[in-house]
Amino acid sequence: MTDELLVLRCQLGEREAFAELVRAWHVPVWTYVRRMLDAERADDVTQEVWLAVFRGLPRLKEPARFTPWLFTIARRAVTDRLREEYGRAETPSDEEPPAEDVVTAVVDRAELVAGLSALPVLEREILVLYYLEDLSLRECAEICAVPSGTVKSRLSRARRLLRDHLVEKGFQP
Amino acid sequence: MSADELMGRLSPSLSPWRRVLGAVPLVSGLVGAAFVGLLWATEPGPLPGRTQAAFAVFLAFCLAWACYGGWAVTRRAPLFALDRVIAGWLALAASTVMTVVTVTAAVQRGTGLLLAAGIGAAFVAVSAVVTVRAHVRRAALLRRRRELTREEE
Repeated sequence: MTDELLVLRCQLGEREAFAELVRAWHVPVWTYVRRMLDAERADDVTQEVWLAVFRGLPRLKEPARFTPWLFTIARRAVTDRLREEYGRAETPSDEEPPAEDVVTAVVDRAELVAGLSALPVLEREILVLYYLEDLSLRECAEICAVPSGTVKSRLSRARRLLRDHLVEKGFQP
Repeated sequence: MSADELMGRLSPSLSPWRRVLGAVPLVSGLVGAAFVGLLWATEPGPLPGRTQAAFAVFLAFCLAWACYGGWAVTRRAPLFALDRVIAGWLALAASTVMTVVTVTAAVQRGTGLLLAAGIGAAFVAVSAVVTVRAHVRRAALLRRRRELTREEE
């Protein structure tokens, strides 16, 4: 079933369609959120994203454009959470930063994923959207609210940073 | 967290009752406020202070109830296509009853007939427009769903 049909059924108020939509998109949303935040916060933020999705669905004018709309909501939720964390980080705190979280180290076994988490937020986000979520340049631009040219330059910078990071870790380019 | 766990957490928010609990206060609050306001405005003689205060309190209560309903349907549990149709008919029925009652009261008292009929007609007209729009929107969604289902078959 296409996303458009699923979204239309949700807009009509079919309860089974809500469950089908969550089943179809939970993993991509969670993956995006998880790559931007640590595991504990990823669950909370994923739930916030889905609440916002269901609240916004009746107003979604183009059901065929569901994917960028969904990731725009996810991005907003992640940005809000990061903003809160940066706000707290300005005051002295005993909390460990997410990158040094033991759980993160265990979960992120793949060096690529570990390298990804070391990148700055904007570069990490664009790599996740483009490579892990397999979205087009146009969709990434729409989600991040920047021109396609900016997406390309961010992608290029992100690839360079990731390559530098992996080389530092001893990988051959 | 699996998709099923997530659905378990989201279920209370997706309950149709939660949406009904937003639409009913909105409709009853607005219609109630209009009804009380009209009765108050079309009173033939000067009212004692206590009666005026009672009208004001009741009017404020209805408006607060309508505000709660407005917040619920815009922020907490927005209405899907079928919910809007139901809410539209609910509003139309409530507006019609309110208009009939206030116009009858105005005729019996001999004052405020134009005001009661005007405000009642406005409420009925707005409710009718909302209901028609809800039906049109739902019909468009159903039509598109049929097209997509046919394409998939």
